[in-house]
Formats: sequence, structure tokens, C-alpha cells
Amino acid sequence: MSLNHLAQESSGAPLVQVEHLAMRFRLRGGQWIRPVDDVSFTIDRGEVLALVGESGSGKTTIGRLLLRILEPSAGRMVVDGRDITHIRGRQLAEYRRVAQMIFQDPFASLNPVKTAEDHLLFPVRKHRGGRPAEVSAVVDDLLTRVGLTPVAETRRKYPHELSGGQRQRLAIARTLAVEPRFLVADEPISMLDVSIRAGILKLLNELKRELGLSFLYITHDLASARYFGDRIMVLYAGKVMETAPARELVAHPRHPYTRLLLAATPGSSHQGALPETANIPPNLSESRQGCPFAPRCPLATEICHETMPAAEDVGSGHRVACHHLEA
Amino acid sequence: MSNQQPVLEIRDVSIAYETAVGPVQAVSHVNLTLDENSIVGLVGESGSGKSTLANAVMRLLRGAARLTSGQILVKGQDVYALSPQELRRFRWNVMSMVFQSAMTVLNPVMTVEQQMIDVFRSHRPEMSVREAHQRSLELLDMVRIDRRHARSYPHELSGGMKQRIVIAIALALEPSLVIMDEPTTALDVVVQRSILDQIKELQKERRFAILFISHDFSLVSELASRVAIMYAGRLVEVADSQGLTLADPLHHPYTLGLMRAIPHLSAEDVEIEGIPGNPPNLVELPTGCAYHPRCPSASAVCEREVPTLRQVGGRAIACHIFDPEKRGEFAHVS
Ligand SMILES: Nc1ncnc2c1ncn2[C@@H]1O[C@H](COP(=O)(O)OP(=O)(O)OP(=O)(O)O)[C@@H](O)[C@H]1O
Ligand SMILES: Nc1ncnc2c1ncn2[C@@H]1O[C@H](COP(=O)(O)OP(=O)(O)OP(=O)(O)O)[C@@H](O)[C@H]1O
Ligand SMILES: [Mg+2]
Ligand SMILES: [Mg+2]
Repeated sequence: MSLNHLAQESSGAPLVQVEHLAMRFRLRGGQWIRPVDDVSFTIDRGEVLALVGESGSGKTTIGRLLLRILEPSAGRMVVDGRDITHIRGRQLAEYRRVAQMIFQDPFASLNPVKTAEDHLLFPVRKHRGGRPAEVSAVVDDLLTRVGLTPVAETRRKYPHELSGGQRQRLAIARTLAVEPRFLVADEPISMLDVSIRAGILKLLNELKRELGLSFLYITHDLASARYFGDRIMVLYAGKVMETAPARELVAHPRHPYTRLLLAATPGSSHQGALPETANIPPNLSESRQGCPFAPRCPLATEICHETMPAAEDVGSGHRVACHHLEA
Repeated sequence: MSNQQPVLEIRDVSIAYETAVGPVQAVSHVNLTLDENSIVGLVGESGSGKSTLANAVMRLLRGAARLTSGQILVKGQDVYALSPQELRRFRWNVMSMVFQSAMTVLNPVMTVEQQMIDVFRSHRPEMSVREAHQRSLELLDMVRIDRRHARSYPHELSGGMKQRIVIAIALALEPSLVIMDEPTTALDVVVQRSILDQIKELQKERRFAILFISHDFSLVSELASRVAIMYAGRLVEVADSQGLTLADPLHHPYTLGLMRAIPHLSAEDVEIEGIPGNPPNLVELPTGCAYHPRCPSASAVCEREVPTLRQVGGRAIACHIFDPEKRGEFAHVS
């Protein structure tokens, strides 16, 4: 049994197609917020889309929608040719073999009373079946794949006997047990020590290159988005502000919010005061109008407070939603 | 070299925690000096001892923690020689600290203004309520928070505003030394950056010294003029921040490892390399140099002897590679 199952068919269509996705939540006061609002994007086979934005901008909600942990309020999601927008029951269970999630906190996603091998034996058996020796060989493969060697030693360890980086590797191995095509990685390195973050990022990069996996990589760190992402999508208050190839976005940001985000990131070449007029938390209310960034935007004019600009293609896969693109 | 008295002198400081499995040496023989009007960064991974060292400077070590060697002088005064009353005056007036979980430090049932007035009234008993009130409003102005928030409770404020208030309170009595322990880690980058800009501005104006603790290498090297790098309770390097680039190879192997491990926003070459192995466990610290099991340049001497800081090209580095007498041991490293 090989993990390399994705070399097969590439139908040409993107693996993930999301159209006009929206999610609304009712707050205790009775009003509705819409932290995901008219979001559209695609992810190709073997491509990494990095999703960046500040806390509360809707990144995790988009990830949960794509895994169908949440059911969207509006819009459509097609993954690997199947419409998953409202699937349930058996279809949803089948979809769990296509899409998997890597969480921020590897400790919380592992069972403290199970050994590393227990975490893998069950999904491998369930997904692929086979005789015990075969199942065991796959477990060894998976542990090797994520760099948890020597395998014999790791198999017997409990989560608390692993370091933070090793736990995240085990969590990654578990998602691979069902041979998924698409991984949502929600801040997978932000809780890890600085010295081991690079190792995990490189592992994810290998999975992309060698297994052809697609990723939605959720992060608030533009530097790691640029490293791992093929493209970066910038979210503000649940709306897409700008999407572009990773290097292009960092080198030539067009949206005022992206420029602000970049200027604020350590290591940017930006000097002097930040380009913003006020530091107001975003309005997620369903009844809001116009561009959600307008109240903070140095370029905002009347129209920005009234109408959300449509995303415009400015060339080479770079799309920007701003009324003041000439600037 | 200036002949001014340093604001902070940490001399050979070691700190241990008593635990069920025996003493844990969280900080070992640390030496560090902060000059007046300077910002020094202290970086290190989780558990490397940064907060423990900061608490020791403030003489806030509690319970199981114990200063096992060394001396801490703030403006020439041995912090551990102060009487409890003197210490009370000394904190806030001469040195103050912004804690790692600063936002939870605010009292949830008191308004912002009440908390500020409290600080003034308890440390400057001669100050009238009226003056304390006036000074509180000025503190809000200082960190650019609208005066109408004086009457707000902490839960009515955003994380960034709470953090600004905690910083304002730390600066209230104009101390000479402010220790900031990860003051912006929980915040979004835009908020973080605007607070850091504000800290820089206030520091320029008021010329206090800052010991700025963080695990974010790029952030610290932008903010501080000098950076101290901690690994497993020891300083492994103290260097000027301009020199902290991969273009300059004269660094501790751990410093080089950290610099290679971080993706850079604008560097042309985005290849990164993790540091092999795992962060050390203080209970079973490796012999010799604690970094040796992860170090690509390690040789036999690194397993035997703990290296001490020595001057190398204008920076202090604790690594046997830079010891001329041990050069022979490193013939395998180019
Ligand atoms: N089940 C829910 N009910 C009500 N509101 C919710 C729910 N889930 C999320 N929200 C709200 O939706 C908004 C977006 O949350 P989300 O977790 O997607 O943001 P995020 O971009 O992942 O933020 P972070 O960077 O902090 O993880 C937030 O205001 C959040 O409070
Ligand atoms: N109360 C305690 N009892 C025993 N050991 C402790 C105690 N507090 C801290 N330690 C240990 O001391 C070491 C240093 O901890 P410290 O909090 O100073 O690290 P730090 O560098 O501030 O880490 P972080 O970046 O996570 O804040 C750690 O290994 C920790 O486990
Ligand atoms: Mg999230
Ligand atoms: Mg700490």
C-alpha cells in the first residue's frame, strides 16, 4: 500500500471551488453577524492557499465550513467534483476521507490515554482494511513519513511523552491515515517553539510536493504565508480584500488593508507611522454596508461606506476589491 | 564605553525552583547590563527562563523559586538588600514591570481610572485625589486612549486598549527601568505594531531603559539596540541587533539556527531550516553546553564543559568554537 495515491487523474478543475460562501451567527442579543460574507475562491490540486487576516476575521469559520463541521448559510462548496455544501450522514462520512483538519493545539487533538500507534491503527484499519501485518506496515510508513523515527520507539509513546513538535507530527500522521486530498491547517505552528516551527512547515511542504495534497493554510503570519502559500488570500471582517500569488502579494500589495498588514509585520521594509487613520474593531453585523475596512481606511470616500467593491482582476491572478485601485 | 552608572546590572544570577523531582535550575549564571536610555531585548524559547529572570529583578520570585547565586543592582542599589518598605517604594518608582499576561492583571470590577488612581495614591500618598485623577487622564492621553474610557471597565475595552493601559500604569511613576514581558504577544500584528511604535516614542521622550522579553526574534531585533539570547537558562549570546543577520556568520550556533528557522517576509531566498531535536528539558539538562545535542558544530569538548561568554567581534558569545585554546577540537567544522 502506498501513500502516493494522488498521481492519478487530474481532471483540470480545481480541487476546491467555493462560491459566494456565507455564514451567519446569531448573537445573544438577537442580532446577526456574518463573519463569512460572499467569499469565493478555488484551490488547485497540489496548491496551497494561505488565508490571512486578523483575529475574528472569519478564517477558522471558513476552515470549519470547508470540512463541513459547520453548514453554510449561503453559497456553494465543491471539493473533488462533489458538492459538499449540504451533505449529511454517509456522504459526510465519506467526505472525511477527502478532507482533514490539522489543529493549532496538537495536545488537545490527541487522546492522552492512547499511544501513538493507537492513534493510527484505528483510522488505517477502518480506511484501508487489510491483515494486521499490512495495517502495521502502513502505520510505520505514516510515522516515517512525518519524521517520527525510530518508528518502533515512537509507536509506544503517549502524547505527554512527545514534545510539542512531535505531537503535531503525530496529529499530521493521523490525518494522512485516511489518504486525504485536502488539508485545512489552522495555525498549525503558532503554538510551537520557534526552533521547531520550520520543521513542521517543511513537512507540510513535503506533503504538498510529494503527495500532491492541497492546503488551506490559515495563519495570521504573513511571513509563513509567503513561505508555504502558493497564493495568499487576505480577509477582513469576513470579506476577501485581495488574493494574489504569494510573492506578488508581499511585493506589490494593492489593497490598503494588505498594505497596513504588511507594514505592521516584523521584518517588513516599512518605516515610520502605520498607514491607517483609526484603530476601530471591524463591524461584523449583518446589516453593515459598504467595504468593512472603510472606517479605518486612509483612502475611503463616500462610496466605500455605501457599496462593497467587486473584486477586480489586475493581472497575473491578482484580484483586489477596492474602489480606489489607482492609488 | 560610558562611565554612567548602568540602570540594571545582573551579576552572575542563578535561580532554582524546588520541585518534587529535585531543584530545577531555571536560570544559570546570567550577566547582563542595561545602560540608561536603552532598549535591550531578551529572547528565548518557551521555558528558557526569561520570565523567571525578570521576576528575580523585580524581587517577585515566589514559593518554590530561589535566587541561588548572584546580585541584582538597579541604579546601583542591590534589590535584595532593600527592606520590605523600601522595596515597595522602589517598585513602580524606580522599576516596574508589564507582565506576560498583562491584560488579565487589570481588576475586572474597577474602572480604568480607579486602577490608575490606586497606583498613584498607594505610591505617592502625598498626592491628592484630585491630582491623581488629573494624572490618570494624562496617562490615557499618553497612550492615546480617549479620556471617555476613564470610566470604562476592562471588559469594555479591546485587547489592545487594555494592553496600552497596563503599559501606561507601568510608566505612571516614571521609573528608570521598565521590564516588559511579552507585552504584545496576544495581539494582532497591526495592534502590536502600533503599541510598539508608541513604546518607542515614549522611551525616546522619557529616556527610561527597557528590558523587552519576547520569543519573536524579528520583532526584538527591530525594537532593541542590543539582544540577549537565552537557551536553557543561560545567555548564549549578547549582540547588537544590527549584526543579527545571516550575512554575518559570527554568532552562537543557536542564534544562527534561530535565524535560519524563521521565514522572512522580504528575503529573496525563502529557504528555512529547523533546528534538529527538541527544546531541552531542564530536569535532565544535557551535560556541558546544553545546546550540544542539537548543535551541528558540536565536538567532544561541548559535552564536557559549559562554555562561558567571551568577547567575539564586539559581541559576547558562549561557545567553545570561539575559544582559541579549543580550536583544535573543531578541526571538523569549517
Ligand atoms: N458558533 C459561533 N457562534 C457565534 N459567533 C461565532 C461562532 N463561531 C465564530 N463566531 C464569531 O465569528 C467571528 C469569526 O471567528 P473565527 O474564529 O472564524 O475568526 P478567526 O479569523 O479564525 O480568528 P482567530 O485568528 O482569532 O482564530 C468571530 O467574531 C467569532 O466570535
Ligand atoms: N513554579 C515553578 N515550579 C517549577 N518550575 C517552574 C516554575 N515556574 C517555572 N518553572 C520552570 O522554569 C523554567 C523557566 O520558566 P520561565 O517561565 O521563566 O520561562 P520563559 O522563558 O518565560 O518561557 P515562556 O516563553 O513560555 O514565557 C521552565 O522550564 C519552567 O518549567
Ligand atoms: Mg481562528
Ligand atoms: Mg515567560
